[in-house]
Amino acid sequence: MRTAFAIAAKDLRAEARSKEVAPAMLLFALALVFLFTFALPPGSGRAPVPLPRAGSVGAREIASVFLWSSLLFAAIVGFGRSAALEREGSRLDALVLAPVDPALVFAGKAIANFLYLTFIAILVFFFFVVFIGVAPGAILGFLPIALMTNIGLAVIGTLFGTATQYSRAKELLLPLLIFPSVLPPLLAAIRLTSETLVHGDPFTETGWFILIAIYDIVFATIGAVTFEFVIRE
Amino acid sequence: MNIDTGVRNLAVLVAIGMLAGLAAIFFWVPTDDFQGVAQRLFYIHVPSAWVAYLAFAVVLVGSIAHLKTGSRRWDLLADSSAEVGVVFTGITLVTGMMWGRPVWGAYWQWEPRLTSTFVLFVVYLGYVVFRRMGDPGRTGRIAAVIGIVGFVNVPLVHFSVRWWRGLHPSGVVNPASEANLPWQMLVTMLFMLGVFTLLYALFLTLRVRLGRLEDRLLLLEGR
Repeated sequence: MRTAFAIAAKDLRAEARSKEVAPAMLLFALALVFLFTFALPPGSGRAPVPLPRAGSVGAREIASVFLWSSLLFAAIVGFGRSAALEREGSRLDALVLAPVDPALVFAGKAIANFLYLTFIAILVFFFFVVFIGVAPGAILGFLPIALMTNIGLAVIGTLFGTATQYSRAKELLLPLLIFPSVLPPLLAAIRLTSETLVHGDPFTETGWFILIAIYDIVFATIGAVTFEFVIRE
Repeated sequence: MNIDTGVRNLAVLVAIGMLAGLAAIFFWVPTDDFQGVAQRLFYIHVPSAWVAYLAFAVVLVGSIAHLKTGSRRWDLLADSSAEVGVVFTGITLVTGMMWGRPVWGAYWQWEPRLTSTFVLFVVYLGYVVFRRMGDPGRTGRIAAVIGIVGFVNVPLVHFSVRWWRGLHPSGVVNPASEANLPWQMLVTMLFMLGVFTLLYALFLTLRVRLGRLEDRLLLLEGR
């Protein structure tokens, strides 16, 4: 596992110098948040969002959809860029040649992607505090959701991000493959986040956490086992 | 290049079965009391769905075997089966919508079974696109990974959408579970399931054959 962390640290160091992935994700997410706020009732940026009437969909519930949509789109941009950088600089080839278990290379890449995502998730959450009037305290409920969901997103993103590098239509294929594949954790995250924003506590619905956990375990395993076949010459 | 007799006999069998099945659907089976004529679509819809799932299960098996053995034979089987599967998933979705409009009053409902079928359709469409766009050296292996992830994901999608919708019954009338199902309906359904399975076998055989010929052509062209 130390190897995996070393690879992740290497990626983060490269990112800290070149700043090719995270700023792109952040700008993209910010643009989306800005766009989405137009769909919310006027004034919801200034005043606390009123609680929804019975039967209606409240601004806070929609906010959770927007939050995760922005994150997912930004994630896809990030996965594509981080995998493309690896490929372009032949950095991946060097890793393939290194006497390292491919599962650990996969783990390292996934950890780096996970950290980018989590960093973006926290910043996007504060965009929502500023622009949409989400209560800052809700971060306590949001953080565990984001941490768990981002594992699954990073795993799928690393696997498919790398896989689509070997294709002529990668800009089309990456979202086409990722959107349907991450549906389960995404639904879970949206539901849990809207619980947090409306009731202030996501932990009433543990079933969704279990769903995310199962998803994370299943696909982390599949990713670790199959990554070798994606990168091998 | 003459098609061998086995394949030809299979094709003849499927053609006769399909005509007999259609005759049964249109003239022999009684009309459903509640759903009316639209229910007759089920004899196409259910077998297509069955073939789609069968085809993607074959993709899974082929993908795992290809990763294990590295053999092009399994790779070609998975590729061919995915294409056939996408076609039948499309037929399933379209016939379902044609049935849904008169019976449910809506073409589409975001109900677990529909959603997971739709997700299957999109994932394997991606698979087929990747096959055509990939870097030849590793397309097979990467596609196998996509095939495995896509199939494993289906139960999770089904489950999460069921929860999302709050577990309420979806309003799908399942004819097979009704106790007083007229025997003609059951016989026709089973017959069509058989015919569609043979149709799948035929398409798969032809597609695998075509793939082999393509491989040979590439070899001859020295690419």
